[in-house]
Amino acid sequence: MEIDIEAAVNEILEAVDADREAVEKDLRKFLEYGVPLEHAKEAVINKYGSVVKEKKLKDVRVNERNMCVIAKVLAIDEREVEVRGERRKIYRGLLGDETAVLPFTAWKDFGLQKGDVIKIKNASSSEWEGQPRLSLSEWSEVEKVDYDIDLVKRPPQKYNLIDLRPGLSNVEVRGKILSIEERVVNIGGEERKVFSGIMGDETAKIRFTAWHDFGLKEGDVLKIKGGYIRKWRGAPQLIFDENAEVEKLDEEIIMEERIVPLYKIVEAGGGIELNIQGVILDVRKDSGIIFRCPKCNRRIRNGVCEEDGEVDGVPDLRIRALLDDGTGAVDVIFNREISERLLGKSMEEYLKIAKEAMDYGIVYEEIFDKLAAKPVRVKGDSMPSDFIITIFASDAQTVDIDEKEEAEQILMQLEG
Amino acid sequence: MREPAWRIFAAEYNDANHVIQARGEKAPKYVITPLGAKINRLFIVGVLTDVEEIGAEGIRRRARISDPTGIHVVYAEAFKPEVASILADMPIPSYIAIVGKARIYEPEEGVLYLSARAEMAKEVSVKERNYWIIEACKNMLIRINAMKDAMNMKNVTAKQLMELGYPPLVAEGVAEALKVYKDVDIHHYEIMAKEALSFITSGRKEMKQNYEEEEEKIIKIIEELQGEEGASWDDVVEKAKQEGMEREIVDEVIASLMEKGLIYEPQLGKLRIV
Repeated sequence: MEIDIEAAVNEILEAVDADREAVEKDLRKFLEYGVPLEHAKEAVINKYGSVVKEKKLKDVRVNERNMCVIAKVLAIDEREVEVRGERRKIYRGLLGDETAVLPFTAWKDFGLQKGDVIKIKNASSSEWEGQPRLSLSEWSEVEKVDYDIDLVKRPPQKYNLIDLRPGLSNVEVRGKILSIEERVVNIGGEERKVFSGIMGDETAKIRFTAWHDFGLKEGDVLKIKGGYIRKWRGAPQLIFDENAEVEKLDEEIIMEERIVPLYKIVEAGGGIELNIQGVILDVRKDSGIIFRCPKCNRRIRNGVCEEDGEVDGVPDLRIRALLDDGTGAVDVIFNREISERLLGKSMEEYLKIAKEAMDYGIVYEEIFDKLAAKPVRVKGDSMPSDFIITIFASDAQTVDIDEKEEAEQILMQLEG
Repeated sequence: MREPAWRIFAAEYNDANHVIQARGEKAPKYVITPLGAKINRLFIVGVLTDVEEIGAEGIRRRARISDPTGIHVVYAEAFKPEVASILADMPIPSYIAIVGKARIYEPEEGVLYLSARAEMAKEVSVKERNYWIIEACKNMLIRINAMKDAMNMKNVTAKQLMELGYPPLVAEGVAEALKVYKDVDIHHYEIMAKEALSFITSGRKEMKQNYEEEEEKIIKIIEELQGEEGASWDDVVEKAKQEGMEREIVDEVIASLMEKGLIYEPQLGKLRIV
């Protein structure tokens, strides 16, 4: 019994900030009155509940409520979203303390600025990309504190570029700058230089943005410690700023084309300059001959463009196909040129066939017949999409293998 | 996330007797094979040997697709009439590709009938069939290696296998299979993969010629056992094994007899002479 009480007191003190003796006394009183231990515990927590103990970010779990944290705003940006038919501004970013860095969403404007150290009362958490995300709602209280806090000192974790996925922070990567350009952006009335481009290592390529002038040049091989990953334009993006450590390495990175299994791309939520291979397991119904508006290039239906009204549609050929390699599945979009090459027929020929049959559906049927169950290799970038990762092909070809040689090779591995 | 389509041989799929489902209302079900495939969706390419009409509406179809290791049973349901009509119109035999969801029928505790519910069907050529065999074998080799690695670990978890570089579904499937199947016979599956590959390396005809004697034996066994309702598939296999035939060869011969139209499966798990 005594052990139970001690354990219960410890548990209560985990949850609330209160005097041990007082807590124990209260608990014993409830027990004397015959209240079961579990209920007694809750009752005591409720009594002291108004004083919530400050939580370290590393201890934040998914779906917690009524938390108090003190943290520094490491990044913040605003965006407009639609909530129940209403447009409203929300703020997203990263919060850090000496134990961890977590993403957060603020559902109202607390006037937060990057670099602020804030005390948040009544924060809650949800799950995002497999980790907790703090949520500051109407009911949260936020006050700025006038002292600075140390940030997490845990060493950054090393990643190959292929393993980076949105939501990761404090990453260490090594890569070569393949392209870079400078832009000036206006943030809160202040002009800032940003540098963005593409970086690559042996495993993948990734878009990056540097919020600080590290003097980077195309061809530099770098080690970057303390970057974080966001999703941007349907692919992960590496971001680093003056808090990051950037070191130029005296080494070369040789990039080879290699085929990435699709589950890796699904895990990363997309990617750029991808090389993938799989079998086409479905041809989506919106494939075939479509008509586009001559003014805005949008797809039109029945000769009417949503934007420009009645127009003379320009025909186009495109295919959206489901590609599956047994580990994952993505949609791939083939433009006219690639479609014509894969099908071995030109759009003009298909237009003729469709006109003779007086049915554009016949084109879909032929595409299905020619491509379904066929292995293809595709290059391309992923693009924003809602349901399934969608890759816009920049090149594609059907795969021809030497069956016997492949079979012999597998046999050898089976013997080995 | 869209479930990937497993290239899986009939023999491994039909060996499975374990199904798992994550918590949650619409959580997908997965068939776990002894070698650790974790299957919700399948991609099958093989020889269409039989299509029959089932149900009263005249739309649903049940088809049998033979691969180098055994027979996949595939259903085309009324809500996929285009798939059912493709199946109905396809010549027999012909090479066919099917994408489908695992169809799990458990009439009573411990009895599990596995098949596929087709989402897509298409006639293909021998080229796609051979490509599929190669993919199925490659994927099987990954599971064989994962299973071997797992057997050398203490308290295997999916996480440990992922750290070795195995894809999450393989890692989860192998960890689960090791828990529920006792003494997984890896060698059995290695032989299965080798025999499947020999379809490609040595060509099909030779294999058939080699089995003439065995084919006669199997026909005799079925004749003996079939009675009114047909001979139980398992009994036929058992008897053939007693007569000194290897399990893999028995399956092969039964598949080949079906393909030739000499025997058929009047109901699941039964065999009869035509």
